[in-house]
Amino acid sequence: MAAKGDMVYAWSTNEDMLAKGECGGAVTALLKYALESKMVDGVLTVKKGVDLYDAQPVFITDPADIAKAAGSLHCGTLLLPKLIKKYFNGAKDMKIAITLKGCDAMAMYELAKRNQINLDNVLMIGLNCGGSVEPGMAREMIEKKYGVNPDDVHKEEIDKGQFIIEYEGGEKGIAMDELEEEGYGRRLNCQRCKLKIPRQTDLACGNWGVIGPKAGKATFVEVCSDKGAELLNKAEKAQAIATEPPIPKGLEIRGKIEKSMFRLADKARAHQFGALGDGEARLKFILDETSRCIKCYQCIENCPICYCEECSTKKSHLVAHGQVPPPFMFHLIRYSHIADSCINCGQCQELCAMDIPNSLFMHALQVEMEKMFGFTPGINMDLPVLALVEEKTERARLSSTGTDQIFNIFK
Amino acid sequence: MEFKYVPTTCPFCGTGCSFNLVVKDGKVVGTAPFHRSPVNEGKVCQKGANANEFVNAHDRIKTPLIKKDGKFVEATWEEAYKLIASKLGQYSGEQIAVIGSARASNEDNYALQKFARCVMQTPNIDHCARLCHASTVEGLTQIFGSGAMTNSISDLADTNCAFIIGSNNFEAHPLIGRRIMQAKANGAKIIVCDPRRTATAKQADLYIQQNSGTDIALLNGMMQYIIKNGWENKEFIQNRTLGYEEFKACVMQDKYSLENVSKVTGVPAEDIKTACEWIHEADKTAAVYSLGVTQHIVGVDNVCSVGFLQMLTGNMGKPGTGVNALRGQNNVQGACDMGALPDSLPGYQKVSDAAAVKKFEDAWGCKVPAKVGITIPEMFETFDKEPSKLKAMYLMGENPILSEPDIAAIDRALKNVEFLVVQDIFLTETSEYADVILPATCYAEKDGTQTNTERRVQKLRKAQEGPGIAKNDWQIIADLAAEMGHADKFAWKNASEIFDEMAALTPLYGGMDYDRINSEGLQWPCPTKEHMGTKVLHAEKFNGMPDGKAKFLPIEHRSPAEVTDAEYPFALTTGATIWHSQSGTMSRRSESLNNECPRSWIEINTEDAKELNIKNGDVITACSRSGEVNAPAKVTPDIKKGVMFMPYHFSESRVNLITNPSCDPVSGTPELKVCAINIKIPKEA
Repeated sequence: MAAKGDMVYAWSTNEDMLAKGECGGAVTALLKYALESKMVDGVLTVKKGVDLYDAQPVFITDPADIAKAAGSLHCGTLLLPKLIKKYFNGAKDMKIAITLKGCDAMAMYELAKRNQINLDNVLMIGLNCGGSVEPGMAREMIEKKYGVNPDDVHKEEIDKGQFIIEYEGGEKGIAMDELEEEGYGRRLNCQRCKLKIPRQTDLACGNWGVIGPKAGKATFVEVCSDKGAELLNKAEKAQAIATEPPIPKGLEIRGKIEKSMFRLADKARAHQFGALGDGEARLKFILDETSRCIKCYQCIENCPICYCEECSTKKSHLVAHGQVPPPFMFHLIRYSHIADSCINCGQCQELCAMDIPNSLFMHALQVEMEKMFGFTPGINMDLPVLALVEEKTERARLSSTGTDQIFNIFK
Repeated sequence: MEFKYVPTTCPFCGTGCSFNLVVKDGKVVGTAPFHRSPVNEGKVCQKGANANEFVNAHDRIKTPLIKKDGKFVEATWEEAYKLIASKLGQYSGEQIAVIGSARASNEDNYALQKFARCVMQTPNIDHCARLCHASTVEGLTQIFGSGAMTNSISDLADTNCAFIIGSNNFEAHPLIGRRIMQAKANGAKIIVCDPRRTATAKQADLYIQQNSGTDIALLNGMMQYIIKNGWENKEFIQNRTLGYEEFKACVMQDKYSLENVSKVTGVPAEDIKTACEWIHEADKTAAVYSLGVTQHIVGVDNVCSVGFLQMLTGNMGKPGTGVNALRGQNNVQGACDMGALPDSLPGYQKVSDAAAVKKFEDAWGCKVPAKVGITIPEMFETFDKEPSKLKAMYLMGENPILSEPDIAAIDRALKNVEFLVVQDIFLTETSEYADVILPATCYAEKDGTQTNTERRVQKLRKAQEGPGIAKNDWQIIADLAAEMGHADKFAWKNASEIFDEMAALTPLYGGMDYDRINSEGLQWPCPTKEHMGTKVLHAEKFNGMPDGKAKFLPIEHRSPAEVTDAEYPFALTTGATIWHSQSGTMSRRSESLNNECPRSWIEINTEDAKELNIKNGDVITACSRSGEVNAPAKVTPDIKKGVMFMPYHFSESRVNLITNPSCDPVSGTPELKVCAINIKIPKEA
């Protein structure tokens, strides 16, 4: 019987899933079991859309449909949690299993502490993630760096520090370092990310550390909660999956992979934050970049921290209506309301109509604030320092006292 | 619970962005990024982001409506079809005018022009491209042999110099503006010429604020300066163009010297020089324009002059160069391609070409009127002034009482239409004049294709059922054709079959089918199934031109139809805001968009306002020779002194009450960018 803190190699007992699923199909099997056993009413995950470069969210209620979602898509840059808030009533009246990359997992917690998602009703299946690649850039990279027609590629993966493609007539891998130096490779926020194994989920799953005879045929599962242990144990008892203890050397390798990724992330942070400059120079850089803003609201719409019904950026006494580019106050409101809770998911930058490096600005602020106030977003249910988590109460406090801070940070 | 994403193409502007419609239990409830589009890569502007909001608006038309005793009453399709068939059957072909829609799909427009030509036997079919880019179609066809944007949107990011004239793409085509900003980030120089210091102009490295209606003077002046400095591309001129000497003689006249041009345009000579130097120094220059160039009585000549600048400097046929005409509506390119034009069958095959007409007659199994029909302005003028000649009108998805110039004349014309059918998704200001209104499905409710400004044919995908008993536009047309005894020619089962019929008759689209365009679309020309589509036109030669060469012409500056005088001392120009689209039928029903921008305004230069004693927000009356309209003043230094601006989206403050109906003589495009006005300050009530 596995318990919180345990780690196992796991794989599907179903021949078909074993063959088609990633790394032995354990995640697919667990999700299928969760549906069959009625632990959840539905599974929110990602499937291939029009092609391999198009990740599409899918909500599955019939266990027979689970195979649709098998496999990983490294060009999938979606963030799922806000969909639960927007379209699934915050999981307040149904039980949902959801697959989560590190940024997704962090977003779940930030939405949960704002009462936008009921975590009691959510089964969180974490997926190790070394980063994802924007689809448009991936296609350009494959054409220009790999010399391959992107439409001919039938599989891509990130392994051993390389981005590898399989296509009609061959396989080709190029080191991520090399790609990223030339401006290709993972999204900039992924390069800065230090949440590679999402241990705040119920089960953190991935291939790092699977060696020996099971290499490529099993998933490394870290049990992170009692709920996770329950799913794993029940699924094993029902013979949906099989498990065995990990090889000690595999554990060591897993640790090394994680550490080397942290080192890379630290390097990327130093480089990217360094380029922002300091003080006045940084402010000027931000002013210049945000002067392109067309006020499409996609940064707000897609931000997992933004949830207010009464968004301050839409109050005409703060930000004049209809003006393009909007006054700088638009961006200042975002920085002051979000920065301490920014989880560096990158959506505000990736979806910005004018390619403003919003995520870089916000993440740089978050890192500074974390040093100052000791608050780390996305890892647990601790409340942030500044961001509104109880919108109505805090707005009321603001109007009566002139401060909207939950804690007196200056005491 | 059912939850799914349906990728589709935006119903607003000609950029052709894609996004996903979020569908919950059979209803569209939101939009979400579709990263896979090569046009917008998952990004959208505010119109696209909120394109779900009007879809399930409570006031969608749900059943056919027939006007009885001045009131619209609900009717069945059978009643509506019978009435329309019997009425239209009373008129001869040329008594009927048909207007297609730049909003509707390629399949809808193909069906409508076939209905007009085949069933109605009328040559009179047109659509609102007349109002915007007919000047482009005419002008670029004259000089290049093809009337479309020569390059691709993504190309613009690779240019070294963007020469933007009369295009506020930051607001009108934001995801094209993004590509220009990418070029800027790569070190390209951005030149913007516009009488308004627009959001686009604010990004420019060089901003040229020319007087409205002086584009040819500006361009001729630039070309003279380029030639004087020996910066013309002699090899390109020699090998790939005709008519250079005559053109040169024209632009080298003293009236186009920097000094003289500076006077006419109001632009400092130094700035004109700088623009020329940057174009000369750039390896690749892309010219970008939109309605600021086309909506003039010299629209066609303006377009040609932009083309000449690119020919003169050899900036044609390569990525990052070209003449990039940015088309207005989502499918205005496609509606033209489909032959919703009085002189063209699908694919610009001319009705004056007997062989082309014969080809369509053979394929369709009916007679096709081999005669150039009349344009929209001619239709309304005829209804207004000679109502005995035109009797009936079939109008699909347009709102001319808001969009056409000089509304008073359009009002008289519409009242003179004996029998008017309006097919739309909402009741519009125009549908009030109708005898029968037919409910159509909107973009979110149908499969089909639309063609964006870079000639990319992309799919619309059905995400939900239409309201009530609304039908797809093409289906309504096919049913009506059947009612009138032509069932066999309109027996399509789905949109894909229409596309296949069209592609078989249209070489530009010949190699396309729904499977091939599924993920990224294809750019025409795409003549065969093996052809990968065309990113850049005219790479090797100018197909469709004599000797495959582009043609220079001598073009002189001419003043606008209305020049300012003592009585009407200001020049009014019109345009769009980022928050709305066209006559606002869709965008003004979107709460998110309309909250940001709920009313019209009139922009006045700070100094003019001071002289007139007008404060920001004062409601003032703009008067022209055609009429008058009220709007609150927006006092700003961003508009040139002596020039005023009004947006055209607002039915309660119709700028087209005052615009003048003068048109370009060749394209029929009205001069919506210059109209002489004066300002009255209403007395306190």
